[in-house]
Amino acid sequence: MSDNLARVLTADARPQFTERPGADERRHIEIVSPSTHKRPRVVYALSAVACVGAIVIAQLLLSVGISQGAYEISALRASQVELGRTADSVSEDLIRVSSPQSLAANAEALGMVSNSTPAYLRLSDGAVLGAPTSASGSQAGAASLVPNSLLTGVPLVTQVPAGGQGASVASGAPAAGTAPVAVTVADGLPSPTTR
Amino acid sequence: MAKTNMSSKRRVAATVVVLFAIIGLFVVRLVDIQVVRAETLSADSLGNRSVERTVYGSRGEILDANGVVLAGTVMRYDVALSPKNASPFTRTVDGVETSVPLAQSVAEIGAVVGLSADQVQALITDSLADNPKSDYALVAKKVGVDAFRELYALEIPWLTFTQNPGRVYPNGAVAGNIVGFVSSEGEAQAGLEAGEDSCLASNNGIETYERGADGVRLPESTVATEPAADGSDVITTIDSDLQFFVQQVLAEQAQKTGAAWGNVVVQEVKTGKLVAVADYPSVDPNDVSATTNPEDRGSRAFTASYEPGSTFKALTAASVLDAGLATPDSQVVAPYRYLPENGANINDSSVHGDLRLTLTGVLIESSNTGMSLFGERLNDQQRYDYMTKFGVGTETESGFPGEDPGILHPAENWDNQTEYATMFGQGLTTTALQVSSIYQTIANGGVRMPVQLVSGCRAADGTLTEVPAAEGTQVVSASAARDTADMLEMVYQQGWLADAWNIPGYRAAAKTGTAQMPDGNGGYSKGYLVSVSGFAPADDPQYVVSVSLADPVNMNSSAASAPVFQEVMSQALKKYRAVPSGATAPDLSGTW
Repeated sequence: MSDNLARVLTADARPQFTERPGADERRHIEIVSPSTHKRPRVVYALSAVACVGAIVIAQLLLSVGISQGAYEISALRASQVELGRTADSVSEDLIRVSSPQSLAANAEALGMVSNSTPAYLRLSDGAVLGAPTSASGSQAGAASLVPNSLLTGVPLVTQVPAGGQGASVASGAPAAGTAPVAVTVADGLPSPTTR
Repeated sequence: MAKTNMSSKRRVAATVVVLFAIIGLFVVRLVDIQVVRAETLSADSLGNRSVERTVYGSRGEILDANGVVLAGTVMRYDVALSPKNASPFTRTVDGVETSVPLAQSVAEIGAVVGLSADQVQALITDSLADNPKSDYALVAKKVGVDAFRELYALEIPWLTFTQNPGRVYPNGAVAGNIVGFVSSEGEAQAGLEAGEDSCLASNNGIETYERGADGVRLPESTVATEPAADGSDVITTIDSDLQFFVQQVLAEQAQKTGAAWGNVVVQEVKTGKLVAVADYPSVDPNDVSATTNPEDRGSRAFTASYEPGSTFKALTAASVLDAGLATPDSQVVAPYRYLPENGANINDSSVHGDLRLTLTGVLIESSNTGMSLFGERLNDQQRYDYMTKFGVGTETESGFPGEDPGILHPAENWDNQTEYATMFGQGLTTTALQVSSIYQTIANGGVRMPVQLVSGCRAADGTLTEVPAAEGTQVVSASAARDTADMLEMVYQQGWLADAWNIPGYRAAAKTGTAQMPDGNGGYSKGYLVSVSGFAPADDPQYVVSVSLADPVNMNSSAASAPVFQEVMSQALKKYRAVPSGATAPDLSGTW
């Protein structure tokens, strides 16, 4: 629908030409003050940089802390292993000396003998059940019939030098408070008072 | 203006081309690194800082009934040195750096592991002679913690340690026959170690972590690629204290009488639990090679069957009583030699005239001919059935590896002599355990309890599996069992060993056996297997004790085993506080 005919522009079709130089219009165009826009930007930037800085520092501190912890853990682990070894070694010694062979040999060395003839006193009527006989010590000196190679070189209680703590556990054992106390039996065996 | 346009366009084009070339180069490199060589490179980089470590799962323990450790696992250390690096080094002593010459360090190592300095030096020179770049020579295997610490404290840089878990048996030969042992590589080889291996076995795990240049583990880097699994514990019914006592008494008597071997079984009457099973000779699992004969390294009580002899007569008597074909007072005339119709030839151990015996008397006198006269009241199949119900001819329920079922031929294969011989314990074989189980049945009112050696496999969380069945089977009637027990008590009171096995304060029941032993060529040797089996207290049976000694050359009769029975039974009664007998014993007559 295009043509090349000249047209008369209607008034309302060209308002921009009539109002172009208007002073009222100029009032509305203002130069925005640059300072009012730039000031908040610096704050933002600064705070962002500060945040990043804080994060970096926090992270650094954290990782320093963690690596410090790693060294601590490492040291603690090492000491745990060491203590575990000590515990193993000591409990091995304990189990070894509490074996029946060791107990029997030590009891015999201390002059104890086993009595295989049981006798009982019945409280209801005072009857003696069984035939009480003194122990003969039938097993004396026979402790080696059930061998235990773990006990090789472990001294009997009677062979431990006075004041010693038992050679097998001597290394690393605390010295304080383990000295054997001689029990003197003056007025019969010590017994608890029962009321 | 056009010129500048052209040149700028060319520049842009060149830049783009160069840029693309560089990007292309990077892409190629990237693909090369990230895709083509990715695995090798990342493995290399990880290898530089990551460490792989074996985490040892510990093999389960074998415990006795009271929780005493019979077999446990301990950490041991293999010590090796690097021959090519063996040279003087500097050690800081009290803040002063001192140089330690090679001669001194080899002497220090040797002193700890028990070698001379020359031996350690020879180890180094020999390895270097073999291979000048040798980096490994084993100095000592499985040294203990104390030795390891001493060696570690030497700070010798070319000395290395490898963890190597070892097995330790704190009680030595106590129950060594039952517990068994493992090889130096940790393979289960005998006894419960082998039989319960599936319960005990552990799995080693692998732990990977990364470490920094100073050897410290990087935080958060542990990766347990494969967790270690500890083995479960095997709980046995054995009482290690009683076991020690029994082994001791047995060994003493076996040595005194010159026995080739022997065993003692102590069984709980009410539960069928084995409280002690002693063998002589026995093995110390800590030092297996000290027991030279491989046959002595196990438990014959489980794995060797032999003709039981007269202790078996209790079974025949109980069978006849249960079938209602006799009472303890039934009478026979027992000749020295009895020639039954089927052509067998039975005689007693010593010449005697005709004896007027009751069934009780037959047991007291242990008369083969008298027993034959009672035994033939049952037919072969009936007796065979009784024997199988008593557990003869099949392995017990103990679960011990390599247990011998014994030999019991089907009744139809018995020849004329075997027909009679089986009445008094020849012509068939039993293990010590089976004999003990027969007496347990008689003592327990005719109820046979499954023989128990292991009361369960206990996992780390406390759950108990493999709990054996505890259901008994009625083999003979309660009254037949009671009558048999009474008769055995008469044997204990009036038999020829009455003084030797007397236990003051308790009533007991017991029977001897003197069985001929095979010579290995189908005949009998001159040696005898002498045994005593019995239970006490007779009025409320608690424990069965069964003693066997093979070929005690210094005393070839049951008198050799009677003292063992006496001592072991006394100890068992004392230890478990069995109430001494109050009621008076029944009075059965042996003769008429």
